Amino acid sequence: MGCSLASSLVDLKKELKRNHNPDFLFIEPSEMVVTQELRDVTAMGLRDIHYDIGPFITLVDGPLFDFLWSERRSLLLGQVKDADLVAVSRADAIEAGELIKVRQALDRYCSKLITLSVRSGDGLAEVVKRVCGEA
Amino acid sequence: MRVVSVSGAWGSGKTSLICELTARLHTIGNSAAVIVNEQGDAVYDQTFIQAHELQVRTIRGG
Repeated sequence: MGCSLASSLVDLKKELKRNHNPDFLFIEPSEMVVTQELRDVTAMGLRDIHYDIGPFITLVDGPLFDFLWSERRSLLLGQVKDADLVAVSRADAIEAGELIKVRQALDRYCSKLITLSVRSGDGLAEVVKRVCGEA
Repeated sequence: MRVVSVSGAWGSGKTSLICELTARLHTIGNSAAVIVNEQGDAVYDQTFIQAHELQVRTIRGG
C-alpha cells in the first residue's frame, strides 16, 4: 500500500469518526494488500483520533484455494499470517476432503482457522463474537 | 469506533460477510461504516445501505 493510499485511508477514517462516529468501521481492502501493511496503516490514524483496532479477518476462498496456493502463495500467506482470524469462505461449495486439505496447508500459519459460509451460516457466530470482542 | 478489517481475494465473500455482520449489528443497535476499495467484490446495494444506515466510502486502488 503506497503512501498516498495510506494517507487517503487515514483521512477517511478521521472523516467517518468525526462526522458519524459509527460503532464499527469495516475496511475492505484490495485483494493485493497483506495484513501487516493493513495493521500499520490502521494504527496511523491513532495519532489524531481514538479508536479500537481489530480483529483483522482474512477470508481464504475455499473453491479457489488450489489456484491461490499454487500461484499466489506469498500473497495468501501474507494475508493469513498476521490475521487474528482466518476463515475458509464459501466452505459449503467444496467437498469435505478438500476442506481437510486446505486446513492441513494453512493450519500452521493461522492463530485461529475456521470454516465460513455466509449462505449456510456456518462460522458466522464465531466471526460475530470476534468482531464484538467477546472471543 | 472499532476498526475491523476483512481481507481476501476477489470473490472470496468480503462484501457478503460485511453485509451480514452489518445487518446483525444493526439489529442490536450498533451503527456501521465501510471503507471499500474501488474494485470491491460488489457494489453495496443502495436499499441495503439505507435500511441499515450504513456509511460507505470508496478508496481508489486501496
